[in-house]
Amino acid sequence: MILSPDQMILFVIWGIPINATIFYTWIVMAMLTGVSMLLTRNLRADVPPNRWRTALEVIVQSIQSQIEEIAQGPSRHLLYFAGTLFLFVAVSNLLLVVPGFEPPTSSLSTTTALALSVLVAVPLFGITSRGLGGYLKTYLQPSFIMLPFNIISEASRGISLAIRLYGNIMSGAVIAAILLTVAPFFFPVIMDVLGLLTGMIQAYIFAILATVYISSATKPPHPSTTQKDKS
Amino acid sequence: MSIDWITVAAQLANFLVLVWLLKRFLYRPILDGIDAREAEIAERMQVAVRAKEEANAAEAVFRAQQAALQSEQATATEALRRQAEEEKDALLKEVHDRIDRERTAWAAHLQDEARSFTAKMHKAGGHALLELTRKALIDLADETLEARIALHLGKQIAAMDQDLEHAAGAADDAVIISHEALPKPIEKEITIALQRRFPKIDVRFEADPAMALGLSLRIGGAQLAWTVDTYIDGLDTHMTDQLAAGSEVRPQ
Repeated sequence: MILSPDQMILFVIWGIPINATIFYTWIVMAMLTGVSMLLTRNLRADVPPNRWRTALEVIVQSIQSQIEEIAQGPSRHLLYFAGTLFLFVAVSNLLLVVPGFEPPTSSLSTTTALALSVLVAVPLFGITSRGLGGYLKTYLQPSFIMLPFNIISEASRGISLAIRLYGNIMSGAVIAAILLTVAPFFFPVIMDVLGLLTGMIQAYIFAILATVYISSATKPPHPSTTQKDKS
Repeated sequence: MSIDWITVAAQLANFLVLVWLLKRFLYRPILDGIDAREAEIAERMQVAVRAKEEANAAEAVFRAQQAALQSEQATATEALRRQAEEEKDALLKEVHDRIDRERTAWAAHLQDEARSFTAKMHKAGGHALLELTRKALIDLADETLEARIALHLGKQIAAMDQDLEHAAGAADDAVIISHEALPKPIEKEITIALQRRFPKIDVRFEADPAMALGLSLRIGGAQLAWTVDTYIDGLDTHMTDQLAAGSEVRPQ
């Protein structure tokens, strides 16, 4: 039984084996980009938006309002990053119901890559916001004794993000596969429906946590609040 | 559970590419479109606000013009009313004056008519009276009216003997004026009657058609006359009284 789509080599391009994770990631990317291009072409301010564009605006503005609520201020770069995280994870998880589709988020490599991108984005946003010195000082807060703990905390954030998303999506897919062999009709449907809900929740949690981590690095620490992993 | 680090690297690259793609084709167009629409809405709101302000200003100007127009209209109406009132008063005064003039003229005309009628009646009445009297005298007493007038004048001269002498003084002529020339016998009788009282007096007879029928004697400062005017006046009064009474009496 293949638990990870990384092990499914679909084809080889120029000697590079393309596994299911990368291939289905490209499909998700193509879908997101294609729909975006389709709906945002011929965008003019004097033309009233149609229902699809309105739906897209609602999605983007909802993401933006969530991010602004957490970050306590508008930030387009954070929207690009966290919004893409959410949309990618959400669409990948929603496509779980498509027969034959292997969600890329069920691969630990994908979730690790996303967690690494968050781990890299946090100091980048922090340095951009506070400067290098200002960002490094946060590791010494409240005192230099906390430096190793802060470093461990940063690392554990990434690991927890990656493991959480991978575990939820992979387990859902694995459980659905196992139930498919036990009871081929009824239980897989229920598990897939549950997987849709879990996938959306995980996408939301992943994006929210990334936003929290990044915004905590970009704004001065509040003495009365502590960063907690919401999972 | 294993991590394929090549896949990790590829997914990292894929994710970064996806971030760029969505930034290029989703977030920026959508957000820029929203911003542009908000800017357009804000601009339209500004335009609407300006249009509203202009409309308010235009409304204020219009109301001011309307008020001024109403004031001018009221002034013009008042002036026209006053002018019409004055013209009405002038026309009424003119009409009243004209009525007064016409009434005065009509009254004068009526008076003239009445005077003319009265004169005609006077003349006709006197003439009829004289004719009747003359005819009656001839028929009943074989006398002429002139003879009876001359006789009556002689009696008056006799009755006023003292007074007449005193008034005549030292006059040496007497003038007898009549409506028409008297018959010679009558003139002779009168001359005899006068010369009996005034022996040296020269008697002269004159005819005056304007005078009523009768005789008038003028001697010195004295004048003695008898005419039918008094009778005709009496007849006139009698007829006027009869006419006045007749207008109150209904015919049977």
